[in-house]
Formats: sequence, structure tokens, C-alpha cells
Amino acid sequence: MSILEATRLVKRFGPVTAVNDVSLTVGEGEVVALLGPNGAGKSTTLHMVLGLITPDSGSIVLFGQELARHRVEVLSRINFAASYVDLPGALRVHEVLDAFARMYAVRRPRERVAELVELFELGPLAKRKVMTLSSGQRTRVQLAKALLNRPRLLVLDEPTANLDPDAGDRIRGLLSALARQDGSAMLITSHNMREVERMCDRICFMSHGLIVASGSAKELAGHYGAEDLEEVFLKVARG
Amino acid sequence: MTAATPPSAPQALTLPPLSLAARRMRIMGVVRRDFAALRRSPMRMFEVLFWPTVELLLWGFVTLFLQTQRVPFVVTFLLGAVLLWQVLQKASNEISIAFLEDIWSRNLLNVQVCPLSSVEYLLGLVLFSLGKVAFAVAVMAGLAFALYGFGVTGLGVGLVPFVGLLLVLGWSLGLVGIAAVLRFGENAQVIAWSLVFVVQPLAGIFYPISVLPAPLRTVAWFLPASHVFEGMRTVMAGGAVPWDRMAWAAALNAVYLAATLALFAGALRYARRHGRLSRFGD
Ligand SMILES: Nc1ncnc2c1ncn2[C@@H]1O[C@H](COP(=O)(O)OP(=O)(O)OP(=O)(O)O)[C@@H](O)[C@H]1O
Ligand SMILES: [Mg+2]
Repeated sequence: MSILEATRLVKRFGPVTAVNDVSLTVGEGEVVALLGPNGAGKSTTLHMVLGLITPDSGSIVLFGQELARHRVEVLSRINFAASYVDLPGALRVHEVLDAFARMYAVRRPRERVAELVELFELGPLAKRKVMTLSSGQRTRVQLAKALLNRPRLLVLDEPTANLDPDAGDRIRGLLSALARQDGSAMLITSHNMREVERMCDRICFMSHGLIVASGSAKELAGHYGAEDLEEVFLKVARG
Repeated sequence: MTAATPPSAPQALTLPPLSLAARRMRIMGVVRRDFAALRRSPMRMFEVLFWPTVELLLWGFVTLFLQTQRVPFVVTFLLGAVLLWQVLQKASNEISIAFLEDIWSRNLLNVQVCPLSSVEYLLGLVLFSLGKVAFAVAVMAGLAFALYGFGVTGLGVGLVPFVGLLLVLGWSLGLVGIAAVLRFGENAQVIAWSLVFVVQPLAGIFYPISVLPAPLRTVAWFLPASHVFEGMRTVMAGGAVPWDRMAWAAALNAVYLAATLALFAGALRYARRHGRLSRFGD
């Protein structure tokens, strides 16, 4: 069974067509990247998958259930982190995680929070207020939040945009390990080509609201006669 | 014989999403989050008590003054009015603030991608606001008694319908504020703050409805709050609780709550369709 089946999604914002007939599937345990220039429609696509934006047309089916009709069931099996969202700053790290664990109806919230605090090395930060953390530290808290319900699909919008190379590298390693260990599928956007090359099984290249190419990093490089993904990106983006 | 689950069956990490236990847990998640936020910000604690205390002092001294002038009617009703007005105002503002806080802290998307249904989310806000209102009013009632010898218990059984009706009206008004922000964007915050103050002059809080000009009196008739404050004055003047008024107010409340819930649902649908949820704070 595929985890996500998005079919012929269209979204317009007034005169702007943000997403124009995009179909996308993510299989069990598969890590898929949406790549493309600014304004290509990546975030809009992710937001439709998350139920934040209602598509003008097309359908979104997750775990065999239609999102629009089974919102609560579907959302309890996915999770989300992005560089442009934040967590309530006044709360301490462990309080935020505890509250979200409950909002995801995790059976043993305390134990689960403790596991993630350990996994993301948040121990020394647990008693600090979120607003006192650096953006990289916040990213770690957010990723911990995103794993609370052990999602079967993890949606990440530029998750490592705020991290230094070292932290970014460690987070990528952690996410890849989790994907293998828990079999979670991921749908990721990123402007970091190395990250995408390393983490993703399949890449969908978006431009002007359309998926214009897809395949593994190798396949894409071969197809466009390019050295690496960065070169592919430049070729596709510049037409 | 009971068919026990085999001990080896791994228990799912999360509760079945539609179960009652899961719903209760999600609602409590919202409550706990808001409680933690309150506990972690002393300024907010201060605010919970500041305005009610100021208003209580203000109207308490007005009452004392009027008494020295031998104004020929019960003036202590002003104190009852301040207390009940705070119930209405707080119930309204607290729930819209709780929502706005998610916008201010850029946490809205995290909440919106949770498996929380709208009803669960709102119930969480309402439960928490209930706690805050109860706390603020308890402190004020204590002050009113200590400073002016005014006991809320003088309202007798009337206190229950009075407070109940005002709470529900306050939540409806708060919902209109939230719906306005979802529909028109952050600038509509003004509505969330001020809507309840539109009710203030019309609901005869500090004076009887009879002083209003006829057209406004008709409007007042359709505000549950007017009936509560009229009822309060009746009781404080030694009369019985006007249950017919209370029933009418309850019926109005039910209609308004249903209407504002529909308004909220419509505004959320609009926000999702127009991609507004991810655009707050920009
Ligand atoms: N909520 C919205 N309201 C109006 N227009 C929007 C909205 N969201 C996106 N758009 C427009 O839709 C187009 C696609 O935007 P989107 O955010 O999906 O791009 P993106 O691929 O994520 O870009 P980036 O790499 O810069 O994050 C852009 O032209 C953008 O201006
Ligand atoms: Mg984007």
C-alpha cells in the first residue's frame, strides 16, 4: 500500500497558479524530495498534503484514506516540521513536547518525550524556554516534536535550513537512521543538494507548479548529462 | 473465558484516534499547554488580576461615593455588575487570545497539522478560559468582600444561571473574534478585543435597560447579557430570580453559539481554501 497518493492537484491563489496538475506518490519507507526554484509550488504541495490548504481540484489519499474525509485519523499518523514555524516560546522544551505528545494522543507521553529528548540530545535544554534557544537548537526541538507520534509519513519543509553544517549533518544521519529503523516515509523539500542526494530515494523536480522530472539522483544526472544534482538543478531551473 | 491479548502483541504508540480516550487526551494537551504558558509568564499572571482589580476598585469607590450622597436606591449592584461583567469580558477575550497566541508564536501550523478536531481545540480553549475566569472572579469576589463588605453569595441561586449565561455568551463573542481573524487576517484582532465592549452599553450592566432609548431597548432584548444584569438587579433588590428571563436568555445563547460555531467553521474553511493559515505573521 502506498503511504501517499496525491492525484492531479491544482491550487491557484488569485492570478497565481501555485500548483498545476501535480501527481505524487510516496511508498512505505520511501524518502522523496521535492526540489525546485523559489516559488515552484513545493510548500503549497506539502501544505495540501497536510490539510493546511484545500486543493482546488485533485485528491489526496493517505494510508488508503481520503484526507478530506478522515482528517483526524490521517493526521494522527503523519507529522511536520519546517524552518518557518516555531513552537510556543514561553514554554520550556519538555513542556512543549509533553503538550504535543498529548495532542497526538501518545499513550505514555512522559516516556515518549524522554526518549526523544535523549535521541536529539536535548537533555541540557529540557528546562529552558523555547524562546531562549538558538535557531539550530529550536530545529532539534521541532524535529523531536515531529517524531512524537512515530509518524508513518514525515513531512519536512526545508528542515535543516537553520542548522550549521555539523548539526545539519548529524540531523540528516539521525533522520535517515529513523527512516530505516521505523520504516517512516518522508516527503522533504530542501535547497541543499548534498542533503537530497544523501537522504532521498527519489526526487521530484518542480518548476512553475509542475513536476518536470523525477527519478533517483543518479537517474536524473544521467538523464540530463550532469555531474551531480546541483548541475541538474541549474539545467532544469534555467530551462 | 476472557480472550486476553497475547503479551507479545506490541501496543500501539498512540491511542486509536477516534476513541474517547484519545479525544480527552488531545483536549487536555491544549489545556496543559495553555496552563504551562500562563505559569511561565508572570506578566500574564499579572494581567489576569490587574484589570479586574482596577475595575473593582473604581466601581467600589463610586459606590461608596453614591452612598454618601444618599442616592435613593440600591447602589451595591454596581459591585455585582463589575464582577459579572468581568465574567463576560474574560470569557470572550481569553479564548481569542489563546488562539492569537498560536499566531504570534508562529505555532499555528503545528496546531493545525495535529489530529485535533476543531471542536476538541475549542473545548480545550474553553476549559482553560474557564479556569482563568474562575480564578480572577474568585480573587475579585474576595476583594469585594474584604474592601466593601459585598458578598456575591447575596445573589443566591441566581449566581449559577447568571455566570453560566455570561460564560456562554462570552465564548460566542470570542469565537466571532477568532473567526474574524481567520477570515480577514491578523488586522481583525481589533474585533477580537473589542466586540465584547459593544455589548457593554447595550446590556444595561451599570444601569437598567429602561434608560435606553426605545430602539436600543429592542436590541438589548436580544442580548442574553441584558437579561442577566436585569435579573441581578431584581435579585439584589430582594426579588426572586426571573426564571422566564433566564430561559429566554438561554434560548438566545443556544442560537448564538450555534451560529458562531458555524461562522468559525466557515472561516476555517475559507482560510484553508485561500492559503491563509501559512500566511499569518508575514
Ligand atoms: N498562501 C498563499 N497566498 C497567496 N499566494 C501564495 C500562497 N502560498 C504560495 N503562494 C504563491 O504560490 C507560488 C508557490 O509558492 P510556494 O511557497 O509553494 O513555493 P516554494 O516552491 O515552496 O518556494 P520556496 O523555495 O521559496 O519555499 C508562489 O508564487 C507564491 O507566491
Ligand atoms: Mg517553500
